[in-house]
Amino acid sequence: MSALLEVRDVSRTFGATRAVDKVSFAVEPGELLGLIGPNGAGKSTLFNLIAGVMPPSGGKITVDGADVTGWKSHDMARAGVARTFQIPKPYRQLSVIENVMISAFLRERSVVAARELADATLADLALAPYRDRPASELTVGLLKRLEVARALAMRPKLVLFDEIMAGLTPTEVGTMTEIVAGLPSRGITVIWVEHVLYAIMKTATRMVVVNRGRVIAEGAPAAVAREPLVVKAYLGEEMKLA
Amino acid sequence: MKAMPAKPDGWRISGLPARGRISWFELVLFAICVAWVALGLAPTLQDVVVLSFLFAGLALAWNIAGGCAGLISFGHAAFFGIGAYASTILSQSCNVTPWLGIFAGAFAAAVAGAVLALICARLKGPFFILSSLAFAEVVRIIALNWSDVTGGAEGLSIPPVPNLANMVLGSKTAYEALMLVYLAAAYVLTRWLEASRLGFYLFAVRDNDEAAAAAGINPLVVRTAAMALSAALTGAGGTLFAQYFLYLDPTYVISPELSFQFALLPAVGGLGTAIGPILGSFLITPLSELLRSNLGNAAAGLHLVIYGFGLIVLMLYFPSGIAGALEKLRQRRPRP
Repeated sequence: MSALLEVRDVSRTFGATRAVDKVSFAVEPGELLGLIGPNGAGKSTLFNLIAGVMPPSGGKITVDGADVTGWKSHDMARAGVARTFQIPKPYRQLSVIENVMISAFLRERSVVAARELADATLADLALAPYRDRPASELTVGLLKRLEVARALAMRPKLVLFDEIMAGLTPTEVGTMTEIVAGLPSRGITVIWVEHVLYAIMKTATRMVVVNRGRVIAEGAPAAVAREPLVVKAYLGEEMKLA
Repeated sequence: MKAMPAKPDGWRISGLPARGRISWFELVLFAICVAWVALGLAPTLQDVVVLSFLFAGLALAWNIAGGCAGLISFGHAAFFGIGAYASTILSQSCNVTPWLGIFAGAFAAAVAGAVLALICARLKGPFFILSSLAFAEVVRIIALNWSDVTGGAEGLSIPPVPNLANMVLGSKTAYEALMLVYLAAAYVLTRWLEASRLGFYLFAVRDNDEAAAAAGINPLVVRTAAMALSAALTGAGGTLFAQYFLYLDPTYVISPELSFQFALLPAVGGLGTAIGPILGSFLITPLSELLRSNLGNAAAGLHLVIYGFGLIVLMLYFPSGIAGALEKLRQRRPRP
């Protein structure tokens, strides 16, 4: 098996609701997989199952062939799976560099080395000018970028992005798209959940579309956008490919 | 760099301290403390000085859990009592000197702290606070009823015969020095911690435990470590207290009032900072002691009314503590 991540028949129920219903897909190393679907489709639940926030009710998840089903968040992080939060969760009383250092400690044990890794990550994301600001002072756009910086400072194999474009200005969307598009060439595989479709359609190498807890389409972005089921799922909303 | 306006937000940690760095202000303060002890200043106030030093150390100990890791505990008197009883019992029944007993007491308190954290640290906010309060009550009731070992309600007394080997010192100046060493040790530990990886993990878990878990940190392990460290240091303070008062009264050494005091000093001084708890103790401990000794007889309870009123004013006007107020003052001054 060469898949970096494999999700097989994974389900999650909340009481009588099947939020995720026997979902299967695999991600190969170097892919940039877009995961889309209308509101309430089960994207976030699926995301949380992979990130280890909650265990699946059924099915199996493997990373690099190793069974990680039911692993907790911190176990998944150590296994090389990083994530961002849709609503940014900064360490509010720490500075920007300190926020990133905490992630860097996953790979660098010494404070000096962690600070160097964090500084390099801030430079990559053009966050260096905000280095010593308290995280509580950042705007939404900067907080989203801080989320990405924290995930990347963990030097992950696989990174899960949860709506990192929401609330950004068009310029910021452009910057962020460039950053994300460059990740596979640095050996980081990406799963990207997004509502801002034009950004993801341009960047993703493959798409998985979910609706009502099931995968309804899979394939190249342009092909997926023409799928009648997908168009219907979005209530006839035409998807514009920029 | 611009001064950053600090938004008061409940028990907010003041500003962004330079982690692990000791400022000139702190060095001067320490030099004054050493000089004070060495010169034997104000002999009538020696009791107050001994207690101010001891409680500054205890406030720093509490601050590791409450200020740095966000585990607001109203049960630290339990660790204080465990430390005090452990060294005293070891000394009286097994002839172990308190110089070693202090470590045994610290270890016993650390184990108790770890157990509390493992069971209760998954509770959030007020629920953890209540469980810590209940935990201390359990320890107090055990101390009261296990009379064969603890002396029950009568408590334990230590023979007041000065003997360095038994950590019973001959002069109050010597006690001042002992407590200052404890304070300095707690301070250095705090400074080391806040600049270390573990310290960063404590801050991470305090500010957002979901984000910390996503960064590969096991919040339960980190909270347990914080509580054990904080409890160990508090237990050591308990031994020092026992060796100074030479009498252990379970209704005082494991009382909620004492737990509140441990939490209050860092809150007044500045949570999560190294200097804050010290300033809190240097302000509040003399205030409470002097009010008690000067007004205690005039009108019963009057000193507590004044004390309480003073605290309310402090909390209202300095929500991020004395350390936070000083930091703001420093930033307002134009820099060269």
